[in-house]
Amino acid sequence: MEEEHVRQSIPSKDNYAVPGAIIIAGALIAGAVYFSFGKTPVPSPSIGNKVEDVGSFEQMAAISARDHIRGNPDAPVKIVEYSDTECPFCKRFHDTMKQVMDEYGKSGEVAWVYRQFPLSQLHSKASKEAEATECANELGGSDKFWSYIDRLFEVTPSNDGLDPAELPKIAEYVGLDVTKFNTCLTSAKYAQHIEEDSQNAIATGGNGTPWSIVVAKNGKKYPLSGAQPYVAVKQLIELALREK
Amino acid sequence: MLFQALQKVFQRPQYALFAFVASMTVFVFAVWLPNMPLIIKVMGHPGIPISQKLDLPISLLGSIATNFTPLSASYTIAIAVLFGANLSMILYFLRRRVAEVKRSGITTGFFGIASGVVGMGCAACGSFLLSSILSLFGVAGVLAFLPLDGGEFGILGVILLIVSLHLTAKQIQNPLVCNSNL
Repeated sequence: MEEEHVRQSIPSKDNYAVPGAIIIAGALIAGAVYFSFGKTPVPSPSIGNKVEDVGSFEQMAAISARDHIRGNPDAPVKIVEYSDTECPFCKRFHDTMKQVMDEYGKSGEVAWVYRQFPLSQLHSKASKEAEATECANELGGSDKFWSYIDRLFEVTPSNDGLDPAELPKIAEYVGLDVTKFNTCLTSAKYAQHIEEDSQNAIATGGNGTPWSIVVAKNGKKYPLSGAQPYVAVKQLIELALREK
Repeated sequence: MLFQALQKVFQRPQYALFAFVASMTVFVFAVWLPNMPLIIKVMGHPGIPISQKLDLPISLLGSIATNFTPLSASYTIAIAVLFGANLSMILYFLRRRVAEVKRSGITTGFFGIASGVVGMGCAACGSFLLSSILSLFGVAGVLAFLPLDGGEFGILGVILLIVSLHLTAKQIQNPLVCNSNL
C-alpha cells in the first residue's frame, strides 16, 4: 500500500514522456515544413553565406541572352531549370526534359532554359563541370552547350562519379577545340556566372536540385521541385499553355 | 505476440480502414511535400477546371519512382505503413480504457514519426526537410558527413516505429488484471 502511494506521488518519467515527445515531434515537423517553403533559403554550399532574401519563385531573374535556351526563345511556355550535373535526380530529369522538348519543342510551344545550381556541399565536382558547360557555350555557342551537357549527363554516373579527365574528352567528343577548352576551364572565368545562377536559384526558393519554374505566356509562374515524372510535367505544361 | 496483437486489431474492419487512411495520408504528404506550394497555387487558381486541378496532384504521386532513391522510397513507404499500423494499434489500446497506460510504446512511436519525417523523402538532391532544419542551426554541412545524406533519419524512424509497434502490441496482449506480485 505504502509502496503504491510512493509510486503515485513521485512523478514518473513516463508522465512527461508522451507530451514531451509530441511537442518535440510537432516542433520538428512544423519547423521543417515552415522553413522548407522557401521562407528561409538554405545557404548555398558554393557561396557559403546565408542569403538574406526571402525566397520566392517570383524573384526569378528574367530570361536573357546570358541564358541557355533550347527550343523557341519566344515559346509561350518556358521551363527554367536550375540543375546540378552530379545530381542523380537532375540526370533523370534531363531525360524527362528531352522528352518534353520532343513533344512540345518542335511545335515551338515550350522552351527549356538551363541554369546552373551546383550543390558543392554534396557534389564537389559539380561546380567545375558547370564551368565546363559554360566553356562549351563560349567556344561553340548554344548548340555545343546543349551537346556538351547532354553528353555530360550521359556519361556521368552522378554523385561525383565523373573523372575530371573526362571533361576535355567530352569537349573533343562534341567537336570543340580541346586546347581552347582547357584554357577556358583553368581560367575559372565562369565561376561568377555560376554563382549568380545559384544565388538566383536560392532567391527563388530552390533548396535542392532539380528546381524548375514553369513560366506561362502571361508571366504566371509555377514552381516544380525535384525530378517529377513526365506525366506531371506534361500536366503543368498544359496548365501553363491555358494561360493567355 | 506482435502477430497476435496485429491480428486482434486488424480483424476489425474499422481499425484496418483507419490504418489504411492514416498510412495513405502520410505517404501522400511525404510525396507532395516538396511541391506543396505548386499544389496550393493550382488548387487556388480560379481559371483551371476541377478535373485538371486533380490531375496534377495525382500525377505528382508518380514521383515516388522518379524523385526518390530505392532506399528513400522504401523507408518512406515503410514509415507510412508503420505509422498507420501504430496509430490504429494505439487507438485500439486506448479505447480499451486501460487504467494505467504504459506510454513507452506511444512515446517511441512519436519519436519514430518525427525522425522519419525529418529524413523522409530526400526529395531531389539536398534532403528536403533535413537540409532546412540543419540550416536553421547553421550546420547544413553535416549532411556531407552522413553517408546516406540524411537517409539515416528515415531508417531510424522505421526502427523506432517497429519498436513502438512491438511495445504497443505487448501492451495490447497484456491481460487487463492488477499485478498481484507487489
